[in-house]
Amino acid sequence: MLADYGFFLVLLCCITSVYGTISALIAAFYRHKRLYRSAQYASIATCIMAIVSSGFLWYLLFTRNYGVAYIFKNSSNDLPLFYTISAFWSSLEGSHFLWALLIAVYGAIAHVTYAKDNEHIMPYVSAALQAVSAWMFYLAVTYSDPFVLQFPVPDNGMGMNALLQNPYMIIHPPSLFTGYTALAIPFAYGIAALCYGDITEGWLRTTRRWTLYAWIFLTIGIFLGGRWAYVELGWAGYWAWDPVENSSFLPWLFATALLHSLLVQDRLGHLKRLSIILAIVAFFFSFFGTFITRSGVISSVHSFAQSPIGPNYLYFLAGIAVVSIILYGFKAQSILPSDTNKVWGFSKESALVITQFLIITFALIVFIGTVYPIVSEAITGVRFNVQAPYFNAFAPYIGFSFVVAITIGNLMRYKSGKMLGGKKLLLGGLFVAAIPTVTFCYFGDVFRSELKPLIFQLIGIELSFWSMICLTYDAFNRVKDLRFNIALFLKRNLAYLGAYIAHIGFLVALLGFLGNYRGMDKTVTLQSGETTELYGYTFKFNGIKLEKDENALLYTAPLDVTNQKQSTVGTVLPARAKYPTKDELFHEIGLLGSFWHDIYVVLADFDKDTKARATVQLFINPTVKIVWWSAFLMCIGGFLSMCDLTRGRKSKDTLGASWEV
Amino acid sequence: MGSLIKRLYRFFILCTLLSYGHSSFAQSTASIAKEFSALPPEQKILFEEISNDLRCPTCTGLSILQSDAAFSLQIRQAVLDQVKTGKERSEIIDFFTERYGLWILREPPKKGFHFLAWLIPSLFLILGPLLIWFFIWRKRQQVSTFGVRPTSEILKEFEEKIKAQRKDATV
Repeated sequence: MLADYGFFLVLLCCITSVYGTISALIAAFYRHKRLYRSAQYASIATCIMAIVSSGFLWYLLFTRNYGVAYIFKNSSNDLPLFYTISAFWSSLEGSHFLWALLIAVYGAIAHVTYAKDNEHIMPYVSAALQAVSAWMFYLAVTYSDPFVLQFPVPDNGMGMNALLQNPYMIIHPPSLFTGYTALAIPFAYGIAALCYGDITEGWLRTTRRWTLYAWIFLTIGIFLGGRWAYVELGWAGYWAWDPVENSSFLPWLFATALLHSLLVQDRLGHLKRLSIILAIVAFFFSFFGTFITRSGVISSVHSFAQSPIGPNYLYFLAGIAVVSIILYGFKAQSILPSDTNKVWGFSKESALVITQFLIITFALIVFIGTVYPIVSEAITGVRFNVQAPYFNAFAPYIGFSFVVAITIGNLMRYKSGKMLGGKKLLLGGLFVAAIPTVTFCYFGDVFRSELKPLIFQLIGIELSFWSMICLTYDAFNRVKDLRFNIALFLKRNLAYLGAYIAHIGFLVALLGFLGNYRGMDKTVTLQSGETTELYGYTFKFNGIKLEKDENALLYTAPLDVTNQKQSTVGTVLPARAKYPTKDELFHEIGLLGSFWHDIYVVLADFDKDTKARATVQLFINPTVKIVWWSAFLMCIGGFLSMCDLTRGRKSKDTLGASWEV
Repeated sequence: MGSLIKRLYRFFILCTLLSYGHSSFAQSTASIAKEFSALPPEQKILFEEISNDLRCPTCTGLSILQSDAAFSLQIRQAVLDQVKTGKERSEIIDFFTERYGLWILREPPKKGFHFLAWLIPSLFLILGPLLIWFFIWRKRQQVSTFGVRPTSEILKEFEEKIKAQRKDATV
């Protein structure tokens, strides 16, 4: 019964969204304020109904109502409470519904919290947002309905995918989807600016804040996804340039580019059109990512025809592209830069343009690599899946350019060819950076690499530290300029401080990537009581143990780890898990280690009968923890920037306008 | 439909190849690791490089070195056998692409149509900064009358003014 109500509410959501879109469009055309209010209320109603309906789905999950097909497929009686929450988004219908729910929620928030001086473009914003949510709810009613009933009602469900039974899967999808859906708001503002024919006052502030919000959650989502792959998939890596990973990375890249373009727009009133394009493209690619993930078009040829929802995403993508291009073609001419004198040339704004170029090029490479299977199949007839080596071939050049661009760009100032510190700082920084480089390489065991990767790693690490030193010098100078008045610095330069921390976070991430460029591994078969050595650690195997963990039965192979000084480091617990509803055994990774490196153990094979023999893969992964820490830094930086109240308040050359034309 | 047949055919070839390629069927992570540890160091590197360039047929995004799926274990064994015969890297890669098709590689080869996948990003990376240099960097928009001048120039202007005034005074 509840499922019927849930479905009915989703249907109502679709209807209110359609109503909202149409009324907002009419309101925009006739400049009718009260009709717009009606559209606004429609959005709020959609939000409330979506929340209630998702509450129903959760309630059905908790009560294990297997009469609902989705719940039958994705949960079972043994599922712990913890994962019952995440069963909501553990496959197609539910995660699509989460998408729609989030877009309804953020749409409503955007409808309520707009800036007062933006009110006259709100009908366009409203129309764009509600059109997106209308389409998502339409799909939730037709092609991916989570409330489909089935009869007879089984006693037990098929169980959740064991790979998804991981704590990270509770936070990772919602945060990634939050990022995707929050990008809809910059998109809607971009469309609104095009419709209106110019950037309005307050446009930049709102867009910037929402972009940052989306950016933070995308960052969290991407890193948690990496962390999940690291602890769940068992190949000792966290990023494989998989199409699905790439498709979450593309919107992140475009959101980053958008943030940098908004910065120029804020300071100089230039790059307005680029900001609009990037806002639209960022959302386009977040949808593109969803399309790739859902339709199966990249990983397999056949699922495209089989999965009925795939083409629908494609129609929507095409719709966004066509509408945006037409609007841009007609309206972009009227969006002009302000006539600020003396810009470009050798200056910060040029450096920011170069940065954007680099980010977009990187996105282009990722995009080519991701869609290459389709393109190559269409042209040569051979479906060619591009994998990690292709991306890794370009990544060093891009990374190098990023580091240089970050350093030089931060040291330069707007409308001026001068550079803080000049050559003295750049060269001096190189020398000073040698100290942390050597320290890092010593603790991170970089010196163990072979010559070729070693040189590559050394250059990269040195440059990252060099960049950090230059950035810190710049930050110090800014504090000094305010006579070390920290309160004033925080009040005025909070956005700068956030950017500083986020850039440092990015460089720390690079350090992490460079550090684990080459790890160590070894595969051994151990009899009970035997030991093996890797990298100064001794691993002792004491036979397989059986344990019960929540709903799973674990075959654990505890290895006692001792270091060179014969002192115990701990016990690492690689295991295979048997879930009641599944036949295969799933990997549970054993993780142990210091700040500088992880001991990562996979139980590859074991003797089920005697419990006295196990084959384990031992990995020593240096500096992986640093990668996780960098995500933390980036998010803190983004959050601080978002809290800044002054940035974008005084956007240049905007039109103050009102409802009356 | 055509591609389905092609796939089945490819799968068939794969199976036959794998079945006569070597005597033992029971490859496991452990047995390969044992054989691997007996190799001379340069062959070890060669083995790792090659297996890193071949994809695991049944997983997404992983090389045969990273995956322990049955198929990738079989291919890994085949690579190991090839490496043992003392062949060159390119010969072994050719051996695999001839049998499985280019599909087995993890990056596009640098020839034919696939070269475009390398060319476009490279061109972007090289030409992009140059274009930006020509169109933006060198173009400084309208120098403002209130624009900042170097201090030396301002001093020069002042000196000239003072000189002119002195001349006026003396005359």
